[in-house]
Amino acid sequence: MAARIRLPLLLSRSFPPLRSLKYVHTEAAAKEPQYPPIVASLTAKSKSARLRQNEERIKMISSSPVEEKLSLITHIQRMKFVVYPQTFSRNPDSWYQHFTKTAYIPGLPEKFNPGTEGSQSAADQPAAPEIDEAAFNEIRDLVTRVILHEHWHKMRKRKPFLYKHQEQVVGPFLKTLVSDLTHSLAKYNPLLRLSSLDLSPQVNFYWRRGKRIIPRGHRRGRQEPIRFQIDDHPHSQIRIPQQLPQFAPLEASYTAEVPEIHLAPNVMPLFRRQYDNNIFTGAKLPDPACYGHTQFHLVPDRYHRDRLARQQHSDQVEPFLRANAAASLFAWTGAQAMYQGFWDYQDVSRPFVSQAVITDGHFFSFFCYQLNTLALSVETDANNPRKNLLWGTESLRLYEGVQDGAVVGLDDGVLRLLVQFLMNRPHS
Amino acid sequence: MSVTKMVYPLYQLGNPQLRIFRPNWLLTLVRPGKEQPPDTVQFRIPMDMTKYDVKNYLEKIYNVPVGVIRTRIQFGSNKKRNHLNQKVKKPDYKVAYVQLAQGQTFTFPDIFPEKDRTPKEGSMEEMQEKFMEDEKQRQKLDPRRGGVTEWFGL
Repeated sequence: MAARIRLPLLLSRSFPPLRSLKYVHTEAAAKEPQYPPIVASLTAKSKSARLRQNEERIKMISSSPVEEKLSLITHIQRMKFVVYPQTFSRNPDSWYQHFTKTAYIPGLPEKFNPGTEGSQSAADQPAAPEIDEAAFNEIRDLVTRVILHEHWHKMRKRKPFLYKHQEQVVGPFLKTLVSDLTHSLAKYNPLLRLSSLDLSPQVNFYWRRGKRIIPRGHRRGRQEPIRFQIDDHPHSQIRIPQQLPQFAPLEASYTAEVPEIHLAPNVMPLFRRQYDNNIFTGAKLPDPACYGHTQFHLVPDRYHRDRLARQQHSDQVEPFLRANAAASLFAWTGAQAMYQGFWDYQDVSRPFVSQAVITDGHFFSFFCYQLNTLALSVETDANNPRKNLLWGTESLRLYEGVQDGAVVGLDDGVLRLLVQFLMNRPHS
Repeated sequence: MSVTKMVYPLYQLGNPQLRIFRPNWLLTLVRPGKEQPPDTVQFRIPMDMTKYDVKNYLEKIYNVPVGVIRTRIQFGSNKKRNHLNQKVKKPDYKVAYVQLAQGQTFTFPDIFPEKDRTPKEGSMEEMQEKFMEDEKQRQKLDPRRGGVTEWFGL
């Protein structure tokens, strides 16, 4: 008995290669599935069924066209935090950076620094006439004219009422400045000829970030995503048909630091409401100018630096501006990305870039935003090293004042930055 | 100013400013029930106080740089009933959340820290504890029996 058992074992040890050669094709055939894959049920009352339902929903949304995608993502209404870009809360910039996964980098990207300006203009020379001294003097004259028109020549029957100065005086000034500058720079920047200037547009964005456990109610103990909505009303914005080039490669954002806050957002204070979830860039979906160029924001009277100084809150001026830029630009770039079909589970394949100028009439702050990721919910953010980037300056004074029909102390550096912002266009 | 209800004179433009030189209010610093940001301090204040009263109180008397104050009134429940089935009201109170200015932070201190309960060497308590431990050891069954009782067996 022992001898009979041992022989086939000996044989199998000496002939393994022949055996594997004989069975090559049958092994490949055996690998093909004979039965459909075993997946969790779709209709059972179980956690795995719920997971499978979510996966099916994600697949359905990913494969639908953009309009349907937007409506599928936004049609269910639930309680959400309403994020106001211009807020009275203290230190809102770190909170908003956490909500939008944005890292703040002081200063502007290398493109706008004076060192590299020469190479930039040399590269653009064949495309359009560049800004030389004569052109810059023309622009300076134009800006002086606009300032004098608003603050010196314009006949006002009475002084603006209390806390109405910004909307009645600085608003029209900014509107004239933006439209005149855009029209005069159109001969140097061909992209501005195809652009669309919106006055008092609306920008909305809806997203989910983080999870919380429901404390009371029939769904107590279950996990719920925290929803946010931004309804922004910038003073004006420029939309273009082509996308602006990125300021930094995607990989550069991996090392950036985003402030982490583990407290609930309502402590900030932030309030919840339930209403329509909107995603809007300023124009509807079929509009050809679907990418953003620059937004202009006006600091209202309530947050004017003089009023904050009277209340001894001067240190809140810069965080207010940064929070405004982060929230507004995130909403705008996010809406632009969603119009192209990217969403939470289909992250952006190229960075979306926009710029903003926030001003209160005298002081101008310049911000650049690069949206690298839209995947902010808990499931998609688990292994996502990408972060959104916000570059920004401190407030820079454009002019000291107006005396005897002349503008005093017009700062050329600020004017050059403004012109550079408006001249920004894709290389080609 | 007496303890009874304070009546503020109505302010009209040109009136002298209301000044309170010796306020009769007491603020209670409490530990927040829900987690608050590091710059937020939570107080229980008298119902008569307003946000501006709290701000002036903290700034003028205690020199605390105050940023922003938010207040709310907490309703004390009237639902519990005593042994005579009468409703018992828990008093209402006002809560103020004070956010400090100039980047200052505050954490509520640990008022009841854990005491080290080991008795000191050679004392009566140490001998008593050792005696109690030995007694407990003797009451325990043989560990080799694996939890089985001694009612049966050889």
